[in-house]
This record gives sequence, structure tokens and C-alpha cells, in this order.
Amino acid sequence: MEERTRAYLRGRFRDHYRRTEITPPPAANEREWGFIPWTEGPDTTMVRHRSLLELGDLSEFLVRKRPRHVYFSAGRFRDPGASSMHEKDWQSADLVFDLDADHLPSVTLGEDSYAEMLAKCKGALGRLLEFLEDDFGFEELEIVFSGGRGYHVHVRDDGVQHLAREHRREIVDYVRGIGLEFEHLIETETVAGLGRKTPTERRTLQIEGGWGRRTHDHFMAFVDELLAMDDDDAIARLQAFDGIGEGKAKATLNAARTNREGLEAGNVTVHTAVAQLAERFASRAVERDNAPIDEPVTTDTNRLIRLPGSLHGGSGLETVRLGRGEIADFDPLVDAVPDTFHGQEIAVDITDGGPVELGGDSFTVSEGDQSLPEYVAVFLMARGRAEKEKE
Amino acid sequence: MQRLHARYPFLEAAREAVATAAVDLGTVVEREEAVVERARQRVITALEEGTTGEPHRDARIELLSYPVARVLVSLVDERVLVRKYARAEADRAHEQFVDDLESTTELKSVDSSGLDLAELLDEFDLADAVTERADGEYRIAVGTYLPLAEDLWDDEWRLVNRPLTDGEVPLEETELRTLLREAIRSRIEDGLPFDVPDAIADELEAEVEAVREVLADLELTREIDTVVPDLFPPCMKALLDDIQKGEHLPHHSRFAITAFLTSIGMTTDQIVDLYRVNAGFGEEMTRYQTDHIAGETSPTEYSPPSCATMQSYGDCVNKDDLCERIPHPMAYYEQRVDDADEDDLEDWRENEGEADGETASAE
Repeated sequence: MEERTRAYLRGRFRDHYRRTEITPPPAANEREWGFIPWTEGPDTTMVRHRSLLELGDLSEFLVRKRPRHVYFSAGRFRDPGASSMHEKDWQSADLVFDLDADHLPSVTLGEDSYAEMLAKCKGALGRLLEFLEDDFGFEELEIVFSGGRGYHVHVRDDGVQHLAREHRREIVDYVRGIGLEFEHLIETETVAGLGRKTPTERRTLQIEGGWGRRTHDHFMAFVDELLAMDDDDAIARLQAFDGIGEGKAKATLNAARTNREGLEAGNVTVHTAVAQLAERFASRAVERDNAPIDEPVTTDTNRLIRLPGSLHGGSGLETVRLGRGEIADFDPLVDAVPDTFHGQEIAVDITDGGPVELGGDSFTVSEGDQSLPEYVAVFLMARGRAEKEKE
Repeated sequence: MQRLHARYPFLEAAREAVATAAVDLGTVVEREEAVVERARQRVITALEEGTTGEPHRDARIELLSYPVARVLVSLVDERVLVRKYARAEADRAHEQFVDDLESTTELKSVDSSGLDLAELLDEFDLADAVTERADGEYRIAVGTYLPLAEDLWDDEWRLVNRPLTDGEVPLEETELRTLLREAIRSRIEDGLPFDVPDAIADELEAEVEAVREVLADLELTREIDTVVPDLFPPCMKALLDDIQKGEHLPHHSRFAITAFLTSIGMTTDQIVDLYRVNAGFGEEMTRYQTDHIAGETSPTEYSPPSCATMQSYGDCVNKDDLCERIPHPMAYYEQRVDDADEDDLEDWRENEGEADGETASAE
């Protein structure tokens, strides 16, 4: 990036911060702050270990420093400005989740467009929120478009603030379905038995919540699919599973036809064939329902996270806080384009032409000098695909 | 009340009772042989049998022996002792309170020496986090569950295998009792070892020596303290190999191998040395991570992941017959070390030591 391009972006970031009110996170003065200035070379030199006291008033700081990237810590400290973690004296930390298009298994890098990656990320966000709201019952969530390739969720419920790294790892594994064991989803109950001489064990899938419920949902959807077929099709469908031959297929279909209620109640051990089949739906549930969050972000209780409301220096987009009801309609490539960069055209030299999706439009820019809407120009300059035209 | 305190000396009220009785530990260790003897027995039985021995008939002696036992543990200052001791005290407490909870409540009088569930939950600030349901099961808030279950290795305790709903983990009654045992263990372990004034340390010299001898005899540091890379489970061999080749490992893999090496008794320095085969391994990062995993710079000592976790991260490779029979890489290694002829075991660290020795003698 040429100096004149940096100078331009610096100036326009400052203009943006002049006209934008930034709401700091709660307990901002107990957090560590960091930022990356507009310097030459790749953006790796982070200025960190700063307390808000050192930065001064946040809005004033942003106008003065107009940084390329701004971060604050998930952790709260007794002395956030101290230079070592030990001296900082950790007190607690928000539980933070990061969904990054780069880490999504469903994303094919180099093939999916930016908009497609972000759309897949939003799908994963929906699944993540289901875990956080339904399974974990969290109430204080801050959902944020990261300004780059994904979404962040900050959980600020009191009940998680104290959790150490290894406890957070358990939460990561839960959300990703790592370590799930079908046998542990089964609950064994001793039943006195109707007319039986000896008590027997009843083994049922725990369907009240967690991965047991998800496994059961997928399993029942499949059972209902089977029930809608005629016998031959259903048997063929069942035999398509590895290890299920005609006998097991028939037994399973029979159980589905005669005892759907039992299956609905989680009684998947009515027949060994049924249990075997149900087990496969545990891995299917993980495959379909897990939220592929970036593990280190969640387990690192000292992590720095991008400040909501600030500009992302690698895209020129705004890091946007999203209300729960706003997610469905949120289009990052429209709604995260800062107003500041709307309304004028500027001249740039495109060094890396090609497709651009932004502002609800998708088009191709050719290389060379040209005049573009400022928000497109800023996006391309921030991504290193254009330079500010020489004055 | 004193009988209750004697049976559950880790209770806040017991601690206060000792404090308000203006008992000076220095005087106790100097003059009250019975207390010191019972304290010694607590610690040594914890090491040898995993329990804390027959309680003294005199409740006062029994109660006072607890703080003295903590002093002893602190003076010996071995992590393995702290762990064993806390585990034994917690196991005994668990046995006792299960008895209390199951004995008929009619017998309870004002001067009861037993605890009920509400008192226990209160003691550990769990009253708000735990609720009883109509069917006799319990629910516990997930943020409370995770720290309590952190040392329970069995996969059934992993959150992913729990029907978590609306922020609560359902628990059977016996499971709740297990978590209470863990709360006790963690309280007992908390703050151990602490600094002991010299005057008290001098009085207890003989007892400290006795505990050290038992520790040495039991080779408890060999809970495992044997480093024979040839006997490592295939997964750990592969990870170590990758590190030594200078390959960049994802965080979870690095965590797994480092936690494994820590668990078999290696110090941070030794791990750094073992990794050092490759020059670009990042000593500072290794030190930071290892100290953290070993619990030097963090409140917890991390356990290496189970086979299930290794599998889910794709770190389970080259499985052999033994792998099929064990649930945990540590179990694999323990088995292989047990199976090996002790004389044939060549500890990697001894070779390192000899090398150092040669250098020293050449000077």
C-alpha cells in the first residue's frame, strides 16, 4: 500500500470517527486495549497493553489516532495497562465466539465469493445462537458482524465470567460436537416390568436436551420419511446404510410402523437394529448442527477482540452490533458500508481488478485509473486491490 | 458442634471454631503430641491407602489434626502429595456425608454431627446453582458444573454428553454427590502448599521426614514419573515426532503432547529440551504453554485429552491392539510401563543427566 493511499484512508477513518458515536463495552476501564496503526508493511505491529486511562476518552482517541484496527480484551483485569499478563491480574472474562469464513468447513476458499462466504457464516451464526440461547440459556449476548469475514458473539452473563480456559474448552467442544459418545446419550433405567419376574433395564435416548435431543430430532425426521414410503422403498432406503441388511431393515421398519410412539419417547433400544441406526444419527446431528467456531478465540481468556462500531482496516467496513431481530435481514455488504463513504466518487488506480460485491451490487472492475463510488474505492484500497490515484 | 467439625474439618464453621478458640498452632505442635500424631497419620494414610485413617476419639484432637496435617503437607511441598491428600480427605468426607444423607432424619437432634444436603450446598455456595426437581433428580447451572467436573475424567462427565437445557445440566443424586466431593477436594487443595513459619516447621521436622520417606518408598512421583519415548502411545509418538521435525502443530495437538509429557512427570525444562531437537520450535512459547499446562502460571494443572478427544481432533493415529483396550493415552502408557521389565526401562532424562555429568567432569 502506497503512503498516499494510507494517508487517504487515515483521513477518511478520522472523518468517520468524528461523526460516529462509539459505545464502549461494559467495564471498558478494566479491559486491555490495543490497536494497529496505519504503518508501512503488513498490519502486524499491534500496540497493546493499554488501559483506557492511557488512551483517554475513547471517541477522542479514535479521532486522534484513526487506527487501522482497534481491539479490546475479553478479559477484565485489576491493572489492564500492565505489560505482562501476570501483573495485569486477571479477574474475569466474557465468553467470546468467533465464526470466521476461513474456518468454515462448508466454505471453499478461492471458489466461494465474499458474499457467499458471509452468507454461510450467517447460517453458522444461527446454529451457534441456538446453542447459546437454548442449550446454555445465555441472556446477555452481543452479536457483532466483524467487519471482515464473519461474526463475533460476546456472552456477558455472570455465570460464565469466572470460567477458566479448560472450562471454556468444554463449551467449545459442546458447540462443535467434539467428543460426543452415543452411549453416554443413553439413559439406563431399571424397570420393575409389567408381569415380568425380574426387573429389566430400559435404555432410552435422553431427549430432553443437548445432543441427545438433536440426535433424536434427526432420527425421527428419518423415521417419518420412512413411514411415508411404501415398504420396498423404505427397506431399500434402510439397506443403503452400511451394515444394515435385509433383516435389520425389516426389523427397523416394523418398529417404526408398529411403535412410532415408543421411538418418539426416545425408546430407541426396542430392537438392536434400531439402536444401531439411531447411533448413526448422532454423527449426522454433529455434522449438520455443529457451529464451527474458532476454538482459540473462545478458550483464550486474554484475547483481544475487534471493537464494535470501529472500522476494519482490511475492508473499510464497519464492525456492526446486531440486535437479535436484525440478523435475518442483515446484509453485511450493504449494511456494514459506513455512511461516511457514501455520496461521492473518488479516483483510484485499480491494481488487482476483478469481481466486487458491495452495496447490494455485484460488478467487475478493470485495472487502471478510474473514478468509483468512494465506498467501493475504500473497500478495494483497504483490501490492497487499489491505490489512491496520484494527485 | 465439635463432633460435626471434627468429622468435616474443612467446613468454614470448623475453621472459625479453631480460630475463635484462639488455638495457637505453634503451641499445639509443640505440646500436643496426640494432635501431631493424628495429623501425621492423616497424611501418611492418604498416601498409602487413599483415605485418612481412623478418627481420634477425642473430637478436639481430631479437629485440630486437620490444620496440622495441612501444615505438614505444605512443608513437604510436593504437588503429588497435595493432590493425594486432598483426594483422600474428600473421599472420606464423601463417604461420611453419603451416610449422613442416607441415615434417617428423625435421629437428627440440635447437636447433630451430621450434615444435610441443604447445609452442604450452602457451604459451597451452590444453593442457588442447584435445584431439585419433582422426580428426585437435580439440575445445576452450567457455569457451576464445569469447574466442579473439571477433574472427572470419565467421558460421561463431558459437557457434550450431557442433556444441557436452558443453562442447566441434569444430575442424578449420586452425580450431585460426586460433584460435592469435588467441591470439597478443590477447597482442601486450595491454598496448599502455604508458607509455614520456621518455629512450626522446626517442631515438625521428624513428621515431615516420615512423610517424605513414605513418598519415596511409594515412588509416588512415579505416579508416573518415567520417560521412555519408545513406550509412548502411537498418538503421542506421532505428535512428538512432528514437533521434533519442526512441523507446526495446531493448538490442540500441542496441548495434547505437552499435557501428556507434564503428566508423566516431565518439567518445563525437560520438555523444552525434548522439543529442542528442532531449532525453530519456539522456546519461549513452549515455556509459556508448558508452565500454563503444568499449572505453574495458572490455577489448574491440565490433564491430557482422552482417546475420544484425540480422535475427534484427528490426533489419534497408528492405533494398535492396546489402543483398542484403553480409553486414555495415559492408560496406554501406564500399561506399557507396567508391562516392561523395570531394569530395561531407560529413562530419557537419565541420558540427558549423564551427558550433563560428563560435561561437568571434563572441566
